Amino acid sequence: MELVIRNLSKTYPNGVQALKDVNLHIPVGMFGLLGPNGAGKSSLMRTIATLQEPDAGSITLGDIDVLKEKERVREILGYLPQEFGVYPKVNAEDLLNHLAVLKGITNKGERKDLVETLLHKTNLYNDRRKNLGGYSGGMKQRFGIAQALLSNPKLIIVDEPTAGLDPAERNRFLNLLSELGENTVVILSTHIVEDVKELCSEMAIINKGEVLLTGNPLQSIASIEGKIWKKQIEKEELEGYRNEMQVISDRLIAGKPVIHVLSEEQPAGFVHVEADLEDVYFSQIMGVAAAEREMVAG
Amino acid sequence: MWEVIKFELTYRSRRPATYVYFGILFFMCFMAAWTDVVSIGGATGKVYENSPTVIANMMIIVSAFGLFITSAIMGVPVVRDFEHNTASMLFTTPMNKMQYLSGRFVGSFVVLLFVYGGMILGFATGHGLNLLKGDEDLTTFHLWWYIHPFINLIIPNLIIQAAIFFAGGALTKRMLTVYTQGVLMLVLYLVAMNLSGSLDDRELGAYFDPFGYRALQYDTQYWTIAMKNSQLPALTGTLLLNRLVWVGLSILGIAATFRFFSFSQSKKRKQKAGRKVTTTGALARNVADKLSIPQVTLHKGLGTRWGQVFSLAGFYCRWMFKQLPFLFIVLAGICLMFVGALNFNEMYGVHTYPTTYSVLELIGGFTFFFVIICVFYSGELIWKERDVKMHLIYDAMPFPEWVSITGKFMGFMLTHGILLFVLMLSGMLIQALYGYFDFEIGVYVSTLYTETFARLILFTLLGFFIQVMVNQKFVGHAVFISFFIIMEVLGTLGLEHSLFQVMGANIGSFSDMNAYGHFVPRFSWFTVYYMGFGLALYIAAVVLSVRGADTLMRVRFKVGKMRLTKPLLSMGIFFVLLFTLSGCYIFYNTNVLNSYQTSDDREKVQAEYERTLKKYEWMNQPKIVEVAADVELYPYERDFDVKGHYIIKNKGEEAITDIHVQAAADNELTTRVEFDRAFGLKESFGDFRYNIYSLEEALAPGDSMRMDFTLRFNTDGFTEGRGSTNVVFNGTFFNSSVFPGFGYAADFEIGDDDTRRDNDLPERARMPERTDARATSINLFGDDADRIRFEMTIGTAPDQIAVAPGYLQKEWEDNGRKYYHYKMDAPMVNFYSVLSARYEVKRDTWLSPKGDKINLEVYYHKDHAYNLDNMMEGMKQSLGYYWKNFSPYQYRQVRVLEFPRYASFAQSFANTIPYSESMGFIMEMDEDDIDMPFYITAHEVAHQWWGHQVTDAPVQGGTMLTETMSQYSALMVMREQYGELRMRDFMEFEMDRYLRGRATESKKEEPLAQVEGQGYIRYRKGSVIMYCFQDFVSEDSVNAALRRYLDRWAYSSGEYPTTLDLIAEFEKVTPDSLSYLIDDLFNDITLYENRTKEASYEQLADGRYKVNLSLEAKKYKADSLGNEVEVPFEDWLDVGVLGKDEEGKETILYLQKHKISAGETTVEVIVDEEPKKAGIDPLLKFIDRNPDDNTKAPEKKESA
Repeated sequence: MELVIRNLSKTYPNGVQALKDVNLHIPVGMFGLLGPNGAGKSSLMRTIATLQEPDAGSITLGDIDVLKEKERVREILGYLPQEFGVYPKVNAEDLLNHLAVLKGITNKGERKDLVETLLHKTNLYNDRRKNLGGYSGGMKQRFGIAQALLSNPKLIIVDEPTAGLDPAERNRFLNLLSELGENTVVILSTHIVEDVKELCSEMAIINKGEVLLTGNPLQSIASIEGKIWKKQIEKEELEGYRNEMQVISDRLIAGKPVIHVLSEEQPAGFVHVEADLEDVYFSQIMGVAAAEREMVAG
Repeated sequence: MWEVIKFELTYRSRRPATYVYFGILFFMCFMAAWTDVVSIGGATGKVYENSPTVIANMMIIVSAFGLFITSAIMGVPVVRDFEHNTASMLFTTPMNKMQYLSGRFVGSFVVLLFVYGGMILGFATGHGLNLLKGDEDLTTFHLWWYIHPFINLIIPNLIIQAAIFFAGGALTKRMLTVYTQGVLMLVLYLVAMNLSGSLDDRELGAYFDPFGYRALQYDTQYWTIAMKNSQLPALTGTLLLNRLVWVGLSILGIAATFRFFSFSQSKKRKQKAGRKVTTTGALARNVADKLSIPQVTLHKGLGTRWGQVFSLAGFYCRWMFKQLPFLFIVLAGICLMFVGALNFNEMYGVHTYPTTYSVLELIGGFTFFFVIICVFYSGELIWKERDVKMHLIYDAMPFPEWVSITGKFMGFMLTHGILLFVLMLSGMLIQALYGYFDFEIGVYVSTLYTETFARLILFTLLGFFIQVMVNQKFVGHAVFISFFIIMEVLGTLGLEHSLFQVMGANIGSFSDMNAYGHFVPRFSWFTVYYMGFGLALYIAAVVLSVRGADTLMRVRFKVGKMRLTKPLLSMGIFFVLLFTLSGCYIFYNTNVLNSYQTSDDREKVQAEYERTLKKYEWMNQPKIVEVAADVELYPYERDFDVKGHYIIKNKGEEAITDIHVQAAADNELTTRVEFDRAFGLKESFGDFRYNIYSLEEALAPGDSMRMDFTLRFNTDGFTEGRGSTNVVFNGTFFNSSVFPGFGYAADFEIGDDDTRRDNDLPERARMPERTDARATSINLFGDDADRIRFEMTIGTAPDQIAVAPGYLQKEWEDNGRKYYHYKMDAPMVNFYSVLSARYEVKRDTWLSPKGDKINLEVYYHKDHAYNLDNMMEGMKQSLGYYWKNFSPYQYRQVRVLEFPRYASFAQSFANTIPYSESMGFIMEMDEDDIDMPFYITAHEVAHQWWGHQVTDAPVQGGTMLTETMSQYSALMVMREQYGELRMRDFMEFEMDRYLRGRATESKKEEPLAQVEGQGYIRYRKGSVIMYCFQDFVSEDSVNAALRRYLDRWAYSSGEYPTTLDLIAEFEKVTPDSLSYLIDDLFNDITLYENRTKEASYEQLADGRYKVNLSLEAKKYKADSLGNEVEVPFEDWLDVGVLGKDEEGKETILYLQKHKISAGETTVEVIVDEEPKKAGIDPLLKFIDRNPDDNTKAPEKKESA
């Protein structure tokens, strides 16, 4: 089963073009969707999750036409939206059980086992009788994960799932996902590059509604290996470097900016660094930005 | 602070809502002032539409309706800061709580004043335009009349509402609190309204009303037309107190806000709760990691879908019952019901038994709360997932749209169902508290779970549809409320037909005798029709509902097309068909099988009738001298046939060649007539059922002839309204008006002056003057006969007894039907009744002074045996009194018969008194109550004298001769039975009803001797006046006068008495010293303003008590509009001292007439026992607007 997205476009009534002719092939396994805030990740995921109509394009999942046969998609879908709330005065177990009924799990015994397992898996079992209103952000997020896993989904769409989780929880959750990813299409959107690198066999970087890059994370890293250089500079020098070189990232280390640049040859004063997925990401995002700057300047 | 105010003002001035609110108020008030389409407590009769009281009343009503606007403006300012999370930013600025709150409050209040300015502008413009048009219903324009009430009434109201809503919003930071406060205020108003229904609690009610409307009503309750047209309601008396109470409360609210308002977010608590949740240990994690997620099967059959629906329904229903505002609304509604139960179905302080149907009417008051619940919670339910931001999770679940919406719908229905059950239990509790345990669960269920439930289903479907289509919760609320208003407006625009009034079908009134009778098919069809409508909208709502992130209508239509599966489409088509076909069938029944007229149509026919046929009024027509008829009643088919004849006689001086036959106007009725000689149809006015037949051989003066007639009353299908209740399954009652009459019927003319003007008819006098020769030649039963010989045979269903006036001659069965033959052996008036029902009969006899046996019978519904003895006793006592004091009873029998409560009166026919089941059969008599069944019976029996022995002319004052005299007769019988002190309670009720009646007079108030049928004069004032008159000139003298009057006028023919004749007799028995009473009581409108200023007493050495009284009296004469002139006087008035016996009952220690003149008088009285109350006119013999201050509890003074 493979998820194929062709020529998907969407423009919102306020004029924002959320998706521009998006084409993607997403095989079974973990697929990472990287991009900054507002890149169109959530729009894309909502569209795949049958919750939004594109203006043009098609999506198929195996033999399912996602845009027309919504019901069939929903039967095999596990979806965790980026932002969601819960009924404050209902406890986790009851709500999960209620949602399981809505999924169509009518067998009481099956439902009970499933709900119990998922509560264990998401480490909510001990708090299952507490009202969701009293949950912390992380617990709520785990609850969201639990509900996405109801009904053994074949397509899992998780939008920024690790936000608000502490490092231990994040690891556990990612492990759980990769376990599922063995025979499921899992689409994981994030702006945390680490997540993708650790888990995903395939990924796409999107920005401003456009797919900038698709492929295997390691191969992507390989493609820029040997072209990344870094240097520690003074704050006031930053602007100058930006104008002269393709600065893909800067971060402060001990109060002074350390910049990474993309260059075929070693610039003077720079040292070589081993390329990272983050460099791939930034080179894509900044590349676009730089191109735009040039256009404006030109 | 000034900065905050400025911010608020700038912010509001940019919000469209501010102008929308202004516009709403302006438009509403403008329409109310300018047209009749919107009516807000406007003017009636001679009160000008722009009179100060009308403007004040309308303004107060608008300010009460405007509650929602006030709550939106005043509740929101603080809530807004919290909802938009600007609070945390604002509160870090160096501004203190005081500045913040007062700034927000003052700023919003200024906006509120601006918005309500729309009201003044609206009313003033509307009235102004009408004045320019030259509308006669208005008087000169005074801007002050708009500004004065605005300052005195509206601004206090706004302050009160503003303070309460501001406090609620600021303290709880939730809009729902504010709405709940609004509902609470409405409930208090309703409580006040309820209390105002009872004379004793009216003043209390005036304080409860947060809008001051009831207080204003209380202060102006006895205002006459003249006062209403010229006086500005001042901020004094009850109104002032009410305002003080409420302004005080709101100041407390503001103080509490300043004290307890906290800058910190209320969400703090939630975080605390969050911390309580423990984090799990490492052990559990290891276990969890090893667990594999079990495989489950997903079902998607129809069974699963319904399982999901019910799971959702239960979920939503539980959620509803956890909502505080919801619970609060419900509780408020139930409280109101219990308050209403305190004095429901009361007459003169006497309760009827809390029968199930009357309790159901009480429960009907809950409709208002159901509407609120439907409006708000249809929005809440549709928006629930989105409100908690769970919608994306829900919407990605694998179930079709109909499952989720149906789940919500069923959840709401479950909630409604439970509420109805709670209401039913509350109803039973009310019954039980009254000691009534005959719970008719069947009646409860068959009303609440049919009519009410069907209406709730409809409202909910509509609410869902609106919320889905509008897709903005608060706009949805507004649209839904506007829908109810539009339905009202449609009615006034002439779309009165129930097919347009999408408010749910009405099952009609329940009668113990006839249950829901023939209303059931009509109700059922309308229910099917509305359900078809609602469900069709529902399918549309399912198809177009928002799922996921798309809210654009265009996208929703696109997605909707995909959702429109075959089953959904065919259901949609089915419901549309159901709606249209049942609509057609209803139309066929109401407009084809039966005829349907709007009230405008009806008026047009009436106006046309008058224009076309008025010329025939007073033309010489024959008089009926004999009526004989065979009536075949088919109660269960609601049909009847009549074969009968009249003997008619030319009592005029000219020969009659043309006979004008006026058939009854019932649509179900066909009338055919034939004469005993050759005749032809000369002219026919089908619309008016008026035929002119010409006789070949004229009817010479003094000659008689026979006219045969057949009537066929045929009920087909059902009608738009409740239809004729002449013939019903059990409890048929109709009178001679279905029989043909002769000549023009002035009764059919439009009476109301406004309506006459609308139809281009000139104003007309309500009644002819007493000296009108033509009018005094006929009697109140019409110009068709003087007195008649009467005979009737009635055939009816075998399980029923049929009754007509006369004595039962024979009773037999034939062909499976029962027949009763009645014949009257003495001439009687041309007014007879036909009754048939499954009766039980109680019989008794009474021996007349002459030794004749008079048969007494009560025909009653088997469950209504409560007051039969009181009625029997009423018949015996009254027959005894009237025989002794007036004249012998002309018949050998009195029968009282019960009929269903489609009408609520009792009426006296010859030896036959039909009595509505609501009138006395189910009254619950306590020992201290006025015995209503006894009194009503005495009144109706008195009509056998006043109406039947002596029949008066249909002129001014006529009803004094029938109704007032019957009141007087009944009062005398009552006094014999109950004593003088108990009569005061009765007089207090009568006085109040008279005074309130004259305040709402639509044309002009006449003195008693010229009463034009107004109930408040002929009954209410009549009682007080006659009681006073007999008290002054003595009962014996009054009765002597009545005897002479009877002697002269009993059984008169061709010449009938007026009040001139009776008053002439009264004058003869009035001593010269009291001669002023004749004018004061009968010929003028006289009011006293009696007051005890001071009262004290001291104990004398001999153990007796000396009472000192300082009294004040004023006397006024009023004209027909209530303009009063104070007059000098020196009259006899009661001075009395009351004490208490051991049981705490009042006793009269002293009661004497004293000569009292205008101004102050002091009186000294010595009594044997300790005085408890003393003063002037303590038993309320004269009309007085403030009867309470007539007496005072005297202060004790130490003897010198």
